[in-house]
Amino acid sequence: MTRLLASVLLLQAICVDFAYAGERLLELVVTQPFLEMRSGPGRGYPVVYVVGRDEVVKVLYSRTDWYKVRAPQGEEGWARREELARTVLPSGEPAPIPPYPGFASHRWEFGAGYGVYNRQNLVTSYADFGLTDSIDIEGVLQQALGTLDNRVVATIGLRHTFIPEWKWFSPTAGLGTGYQHIADKVPPAPREADNQLAYVSLGARGFITRRFMWRADWRHYVVFNNLNVYEDLEEWKFGLAVFF
Amino acid sequence: MEIRLGSVLLAAALLSGCGWFHRGEKPQNQVVAEEPDSEPTVVEPQVNRRDVKTPHIKAKDLEVGAYFGALSIQDFGVNPVYGVRLAYHVSEDIFFEGFLATSKAGTTSLEDEFPEITVVSNAGRRFTYYDLDLGYNVLPGEIFLGRGRAFNSQLYVTVGLGDVKFAETDQFALNFGVGERLLITDWLALHLDVRDHVFETSLTGRAKNVDNIEATLGLTTFF
Repeated sequence: MTRLLASVLLLQAICVDFAYAGERLLELVVTQPFLEMRSGPGRGYPVVYVVGRDEVVKVLYSRTDWYKVRAPQGEEGWARREELARTVLPSGEPAPIPPYPGFASHRWEFGAGYGVYNRQNLVTSYADFGLTDSIDIEGVLQQALGTLDNRVVATIGLRHTFIPEWKWFSPTAGLGTGYQHIADKVPPAPREADNQLAYVSLGARGFITRRFMWRADWRHYVVFNNLNVYEDLEEWKFGLAVFF
Repeated sequence: MEIRLGSVLLAAALLSGCGWFHRGEKPQNQVVAEEPDSEPTVVEPQVNRRDVKTPHIKAKDLEVGAYFGALSIQDFGVNPVYGVRLAYHVSEDIFFEGFLATSKAGTTSLEDEFPEITVVSNAGRRFTYYDLDLGYNVLPGEIFLGRGRAFNSQLYVTVGLGDVKFAETDQFALNFGVGERLLITDWLALHLDVRDHVFETSLTGRAKNVDNIEATLGLTTFF
């Protein structure tokens, strides 16, 4: 099975490489005195080649803040984003290096974290789409693991960020609905049930660096169980996320 | 004197009369309104417009792959483990990673000694886990093979949380790991990982935290 997986991966990677070989590559003219090319995408790798002013480099692809470039003589290496942003197109226009997404106006967010749900350990993951700068639609999938029962909780809801311009700490509030699946762990007769629930939440978010952020949330759930008896639950969680 | 005066007057009269021949012609340096019935002339450009499209730079921040190795399940021996992994590189230092893997536990020494005793059912010996990790590349560098060959590498540490399903029960588990990513090419990487999955169980008597250490070898591709 491992061999098969490895073969599939290798084949996929080779296909990707061939596909990219046929593409037209972005060409940029170096305007600064020189452009350093490193052996790897990181500050810890050595400089292996230097491209001079007015020479043209081809951009192959990027990884995080580094761009794989090809020098006119065919040498390849990794150039730092800030340095490549100082180059220009052959037409003289600035290099089309995409800017970081603005934190206040980003649209997509994906994150995961730890929390406590009804005094149980919680593993949480979420995806978030910004309808506007301050109103998001949020989908959450999480698993609460306790000593008496385990629960899988899936919710969808709206969240309002009060002051999206506040970069380091901005309060939020939300509400939504969802389902939870409970599986009792205690013998002799494990019970399984699906219940609908609704929640309100208060939280906060903040910027860390580049496209990296944190988010904290407190939620109050009302679970509608099968006997029409409401169950009140509380949850808090903290997560890290990337935004686009 | 009278003759000279007469010549001057005659010349003046002749020069003033020259205007007669130009009557009816429009002065060249004056703007004259177009006739209302005449068609306006539009100059058609003879040069085709170039459609300049800047090529898109593809970001290869995702890493996907598979791994296999040995998992030491505390009290249940060392067993083969297989898994898949998906990582997203946020910066040159930080990455998020998710794992999904499975193994099958052996028997405890108690079961070996007393075959009539069963600690875990056969179906319950399946050990599966998922992890959500945060990783940090601590030592980026190069590994040299021989005189003229160097591979980029990164030593990283990971910490994360997830779920371990063992003995047909899901448990909350923390994991801590250290690994080496050796880039065979810029898009293909070899991973060597050691990771510890810690969770609480009372399978063998009293409740205790168990350490389940795995050593794995993996292959990933960036896209």
